[in-house]
Amino acid sequence: MRKRLIGALAGLVALVLPTVNAAAATAKTIVTTKRVTGPQAVADRWGYVEVILVVKKTTRIVGTHKKVTRKITNVLVPIYPNHTDRSVFINQQAVPLLTNEVLTMTQFNPNIEFVGGATATSGAFAQSLQAAILQAKKI
Amino acid sequence: MHRVEHVMGMPIVVAVRDGDVPDAVFDWFRHVDATFSTFKEESEISRLRRGELARADASDEVQQVLARCDELREETSGFFDIDAVDGDPSGFVKGWAVDEAAAILDRAGMTEYGVNAGGDIRTRGHWTIGIQHPLEPQSIAKVVEGDDLAVATSGAYERGDHVRDPHTDEAPSGILSVTITGPDLGTVDAYATAAFAMGARRAPGWTARLRGYEAMTILSDGRVLSTPNFPSA
Repeated sequence: MRKRLIGALAGLVALVLPTVNAAAATAKTIVTTKRVTGPQAVADRWGYVEVILVVKKTTRIVGTHKKVTRKITNVLVPIYPNHTDRSVFINQQAVPLLTNEVLTMTQFNPNIEFVGGATATSGAFAQSLQAAILQAKKI
Repeated sequence: MHRVEHVMGMPIVVAVRDGDVPDAVFDWFRHVDATFSTFKEESEISRLRRGELARADASDEVQQVLARCDELREETSGFFDIDAVDGDPSGFVKGWAVDEAAAILDRAGMTEYGVNAGGDIRTRGHWTIGIQHPLEPQSIAKVVEGDDLAVATSGAYERGDHVRDPHTDEAPSGILSVTITGPDLGTVDAYATAAFAMGARRAPGWTARLRGYEAMTILSDGRVLSTPNFPSA
């Protein structure tokens, strides 16, 4: 009994060893990113919804052993009901609430060091608020 | 100290509170201009667009930028699409170039700096940023304050009416500007362009769904819609 077990173990070691040696030489990781598009689903009578999952697949191969892990890295909703004002309204309410203010001219804050906005071209820069601040502050 | 130079067709301001601005920063911007400019006939991008250079043969940095532009098209449901502008990646390159410049400043040991590339800003340390009023260019609409920010704005007042919905080729309606904040300028700039192109009906809902990014959308009717954690001062 004992002898047979040892014999079996020896056979197992013989089987395992080459694999382990091969593993040291061929261990590798393959990472791929895939998009999985769900079917366009009808959201009752309000329109269509489509969801895309961005899935990162990591395949780790050690010898003949292969381990695959998948992780959802992003969820995209390219199609959602927005074809009526009411849909747009519901859609906007469904997502975390946006604060709603009225556009005003804010008092100039003396702490401001940078002015951001839609692209200032070289020509417009000389007259810009940013140029004035740089001159005034010498930062 | 600060330095201003006109590179890549716009003024770039680099301000450092804890040291001098290294020459390497503007050398980098000039390199980006030489590689990515659509106005320079011999740039890699110009050669790619003329079909003289295959994408697989382009330099690593060009391939990296184009790969990110592909991802951004997916992330924005096609509203940021460089194919709609004949493969011109400028809308991403500016922000990406600033992100790489920030990495140069980080490696030089700077911890208090800001870079303003034609109105799109990336900072390290605590800074106060005014967002230009979309109708009154000499005024501020909102003050943003925070640590380590990237802030980009897209609006109808930039370089004429040049942002269009790539699906319809029409200028977006009902919207004056979208400002996005987040960790990297390349992404926030592309997101701002995409959200602006979506117009008043889609942009606010789309920006509210972004994770890790905050947004402020100014509509033509004078409403300002901000995500809950938009870093207003």
